Amino acid sequence: MGIKGLFKVISDNAPHAVRTVDWPLISGRKVAIDASMSLYQFLVAVRQQDGAQLSGIDGQETSHLIGMFYRTIKLIEHGVLPVYVFDGKPPDLKRDELDKRLKLREEATEKSEAADTLADANKFSRRTVHATKEHNEEAQKLLRLMGVPVVLAPSEAESSCAALVKGGKVHAAGSEDMDTLTFGAKVLLRKLTAGDQKKNPITEINLEKALEGLELNYEQFVDLCILLGCDYCEPIRGMGPQTALKLIKEHKSIEKIKEHLETQTGKLKIPDTYPYVEVRKLFVTPDVVACDNVDLKFEEPDLDGLIQFLVTEKGFSEDRVRQNHAKLKKSLNQKPQQRLTDFFQPIKRAKPNTKPAKRGKKK
Amino acid sequence: MFEAKANEAAGFKQIIEAIRDMITDCNFDCSNSGIALQALDKSHIVLISLLLGPEGFNDYRCDHAVTLGVNMASLATILRCGSNQDQMTLRCDDQPDSLGLTFEDVKHDRISEFSIKLMEIDQEYLSIPETEYTASITMPSADLQKYLRDLRQLSESVSITANKDEVIFAAAGDVGDGAVHVRQYTDSENPDKSVSINISEPVSLNFNLHYFNNITKAATLSDTVTLQLADGTPASIEYKLPSGHIRYYFAPKIGGDDDV
Repeated sequence: MGIKGLFKVISDNAPHAVRTVDWPLISGRKVAIDASMSLYQFLVAVRQQDGAQLSGIDGQETSHLIGMFYRTIKLIEHGVLPVYVFDGKPPDLKRDELDKRLKLREEATEKSEAADTLADANKFSRRTVHATKEHNEEAQKLLRLMGVPVVLAPSEAESSCAALVKGGKVHAAGSEDMDTLTFGAKVLLRKLTAGDQKKNPITEINLEKALEGLELNYEQFVDLCILLGCDYCEPIRGMGPQTALKLIKEHKSIEKIKEHLETQTGKLKIPDTYPYVEVRKLFVTPDVVACDNVDLKFEEPDLDGLIQFLVTEKGFSEDRVRQNHAKLKKSLNQKPQQRLTDFFQPIKRAKPNTKPAKRGKKK
Repeated sequence: MFEAKANEAAGFKQIIEAIRDMITDCNFDCSNSGIALQALDKSHIVLISLLLGPEGFNDYRCDHAVTLGVNMASLATILRCGSNQDQMTLRCDDQPDSLGLTFEDVKHDRISEFSIKLMEIDQEYLSIPETEYTASITMPSADLQKYLRDLRQLSESVSITANKDEVIFAAAGDVGDGAVHVRQYTDSENPDKSVSINISEPVSLNFNLHYFNNITKAATLSDTVTLQLADGTPASIEYKLPSGHIRYYFAPKIGGDDDV
């Protein structure tokens, strides 16, 4: 998923672009979250002790609803305002990748059924996980009842998340997929979960600083991502991250790299069938939600609706739904903490008069 | 070279103790006009601005301006090695890779020498605009510290409302509510115990008490504190030092529909 090895390329070459953030740094901020990926995570991770899916009274899975409900409340308690973006129709170029995933799931289903031990069966059953249309619709229904904004992307969720950041509608995109950066999201937050911050802190990646550190402009960065290997086309044999970065820096575009490699005697060539032009177009001008038309207002959560849906239909405990509704309501009414950087402008200062070579590195 | 000698280590030790919980690494900018520090806490809610003028030291000499990048925890550790009554000297050359600290016990003729490794810190600096504050209150620093500590028992945040002739610190929580009303008061025998209030326009702001309590640790540095407020901007909280000041800029909690 995403761009192969991009995180490492950025953290090696532009360490300033990556930092861990604490809740107060993002409190009061809206964050566009890739909902489809969250659902998938919940379906895989939210399980009973024996690894079986959690299910409600009608025997239908509820892992996705439990995950969505509690994580969203946790985020809002920390002052972060999540805006969920759901996948639309995948681009044609992704079909190969999706077919591959489907095949893997089918294999896993067979293995899970044929497995001798329960542990094996569990392992493979997790690999069969796939967020269905019903999962998506139920999650949307839940979020609307919670008063949390839902955005339906015309195509992939990541590109619309990025568009919302670019359009100034939200502060950052929350996704594990590094290609959100390739789509032009200025700030990407990974591991934006409610889990243990000490063990697994939220990581922020800043696109502008990454470009600065890589010494690339945005177009060159997109070409680099394509060469590293993305969801839309197969990577080129022999094109590792080091080589790709070096070639982009020298030749500035895939066209030029292709020309250059053809004059070389080495084995590394860019095949004529390599669909980089289409892929590039997909990254730079993807089919995204029109920012001007989206309203990202948080509404009062609907307690009766939540009880009807979660308790009556899905068998949640009424006490817990009521308690969490109260938490949600209280947190939404809280005034968000501002940061000084919202009021005061940063100033560039001349480098201090030092002999850096003799100095210790910053921890 | 740079050299600053203080008659008592206590002052500098207390300053570092007061701010060390909020910042991990920081640059000290030493020049002719004294030692200055500007540091943003890691959540970007509080900005600390410190100035120690040359007059605050017995001897002060700075041939070339130097920037000393220091890890606060390491500095605090070394400062703890000196006693409060010791004479303290900070010393480094013009292109330093370490800062020397000397503690001298004059009475017992004992000298302890330490050095701390410096590091290069890529730090964010903010430009602080001129702000016309509409409410200003100067009061005993220990009182402000106590009010806020008390209210912290009730809630995460405090609202400060300045109206007409009084300033109200209020908090509401699950247990109950609390409010402290502070009014003008003159103590002619102990001017430091006086409260002076100056309000040109009513203002009400909310602040996080966890951070506020960290700020008021500076009560050990000065008997009085001046709190200044204006609608929709960070508060300024200043503690005067024998020569210089420590000033905090503190971002409020503000609600708004079109926050991004």
